[in-house]
Amino acid sequence: MAGRKIETDVLVVGGGGAGFRAAIAAREKGAKVTLLSKGPLARCGASPMAGADFTLDGKSMNELGRDGDPGDSKEKCFNDIVTQGYYLNNQKLVQQYLDRAPRLMKDIMDYGTEIKLSDERMIYIVGTQLMDMLLKRARAVGVDLLEDVMLLELTTTGGKVTGGLGLDISTGNFISFECKSVIMATGGWHKAFWPNTGMRDLSGEGIAMAHRAGADIGNMEFITFACNVMYEPPIWRGSIAPYLVSLICGGKLTNNRGEDILAPYDPLIVERGTATEWNKSFISYATMKEVRAGNGFANGGVHYSRGDAPWEFVKLMAAFMFPNWKYKAIDLSEWGRMLENDEPIEVGPAVEYFDGGILVDERFATGVEGLYAAGECTRGAFGSNRVFSAITEMLVHGFDAGENAAEYALKSSSAGLNEKTLKEIQARVEEPLIRKKGLNIPQVRRRIQERAHRQLGPIRNEDELKDFIGFLESVKKDELPKLSTTSKSRIYNKEWIDALELDNIVYLLEAAARSALARTESRGVHYREDFPYTDNDSWLQESVVKYRDGAFEIGKRPVTVTTMTPPKGKMPYLDMMKKMMESRSDTGGKH
Amino acid sequence: MAGKNITVKVFRYDPSVDAEPYYREYAVPFEKGMSAMDALDYIYQNLDSTLAYYDHAGCSLGICARCTGKINGKAGLFCQTPIDGDITLEPANKERVVKDLVIKRGKKEKEA
Repeated sequence: MAGRKIETDVLVVGGGGAGFRAAIAAREKGAKVTLLSKGPLARCGASPMAGADFTLDGKSMNELGRDGDPGDSKEKCFNDIVTQGYYLNNQKLVQQYLDRAPRLMKDIMDYGTEIKLSDERMIYIVGTQLMDMLLKRARAVGVDLLEDVMLLELTTTGGKVTGGLGLDISTGNFISFECKSVIMATGGWHKAFWPNTGMRDLSGEGIAMAHRAGADIGNMEFITFACNVMYEPPIWRGSIAPYLVSLICGGKLTNNRGEDILAPYDPLIVERGTATEWNKSFISYATMKEVRAGNGFANGGVHYSRGDAPWEFVKLMAAFMFPNWKYKAIDLSEWGRMLENDEPIEVGPAVEYFDGGILVDERFATGVEGLYAAGECTRGAFGSNRVFSAITEMLVHGFDAGENAAEYALKSSSAGLNEKTLKEIQARVEEPLIRKKGLNIPQVRRRIQERAHRQLGPIRNEDELKDFIGFLESVKKDELPKLSTTSKSRIYNKEWIDALELDNIVYLLEAAARSALARTESRGVHYREDFPYTDNDSWLQESVVKYRDGAFEIGKRPVTVTTMTPPKGKMPYLDMMKKMMESRSDTGGKH
Repeated sequence: MAGKNITVKVFRYDPSVDAEPYYREYAVPFEKGMSAMDALDYIYQNLDSTLAYYDHAGCSLGICARCTGKINGKAGLFCQTPIDGDITLEPANKERVVKDLVIKRGKKEKEA
């Protein structure tokens, strides 16, 4: 077939922290490595947006020369991660995370990354700086880097991965890849929702491709929504600036009657649930409770204002987080004035992190030979609720996945690509480009995204989930086959890329909605208002999604336990949340 | 200002089909606080889906620098430039146009 062909040992799909760290590790093992970055090198996906906190146990932190809590330990962190995850965590992955974190922190220090501040269990670095360091290292060790290239589909032969078909976005030309192993590192799928926290490339095709290639995916119903994300004005929509200010300084959240939305809750839940990253699950839940009761504002949010937080303290913290009131080049000085005058701004939840995804073991292998996965696109260590750092996750995952994929590649031979399969994939992906007349792609997408936010948001119920699934089925039947690009030129054709992404977005939304419908309990970031209790007798299970005979099948399997025995019994959601919050080790740090 | 439209004039050029560049004008509803990127998004989603601007992997938050262009002749990031009236949007470099507002980045451009 026409187009370029690239042969390599290890193909890394994704240019975030997980992809880059995996590529470096694989290269350092002696494999030929090719990394595909869907967007600008070191500036796409969620990694460069990140704050970014890196968590590890305080004792190891001390051993590396930083001020960690000496009374901390991997065992204590293990307890905390598992209780934060409501015991749904894969405990082998939790152990891997804690075992590897010190090595990756040493990396960060050796790279010369500036550590802006730290507490007893974390260091805080800048996402863009971390990505620049990874890019520099990847170039130095000889990773082949491709920019503005996306993978469209994986190819397999006899259950073993052989490569895939990719697209050069600028030219619209295809590239076929032949390789011995693949590391999927495509991050989350924020683009399935609107509003979202800003990344235009995160549409989750890695998870969908891996699934279609035969890998299991699971825990798709666990989706973390950041709270206190700006909902207005348009230029600031999606900004997490109030989320950061609220985490560090506090503040007030009020509904359209002027009432404090957190007043009804237990003081311990409010304290932990506002001053730590428990806030993502707790406040998103509390916000949606108000909005769904009709007490919200025009954009579907609540009001955030400074309240009792002293202005001098807010000003001081803001000067550190947003020097000159600029947050990643956004000018927030007008908001600074509003904060000082205790004027409210509308905020609400927005999708921020995906706790489920490709099911990997502690070696980051999937069930498909030669296919590995790392970072946010995997079902990682966090169970039903992530509080510890995803920056650590991407780096510890990347490191081991890279080494393992390289080791595998170096003792395998390439099975070769099947030309017929590649032609079939090409024909399928070209359909929207060739179809003469059809539906407007961005409008179809926006309807889907807004509905996902409403019906698969922080609060769910059976009727809304069934309605959403019915809607997705009609989209699949009546709309996706009719998508047509207005422009037929393949050069930088936004509509064409949007159409391809939309197929995968609908796929993942259906997998998640069906999983959310099947899970008749509330745990972590999955809350069912029709099943408002945590059921440890029936539901300490991972959801597993399979696709057979044209339909999704949702199954479950027991959680992987090593040292912490899960509890038994059913209890109301907030009682379980409080119990998990109370279970935290008696050590310093916000995580 | 609610309910008012602004005129957004956009540089259009697909070297594979157009003999030369041209400009197209679009009526875009004005919303206080909107950016040039918001205007482009509106046009793409509601008026003209053939319009190309770097979007498949844009951050919308001012850090990837791929939406660099000219707003009323002045260089800036589309996603970070607020607009409050009629505007003209052009590519950062008319000699390097891939399509419309998307330009080819070459070796002479330095990475951040």
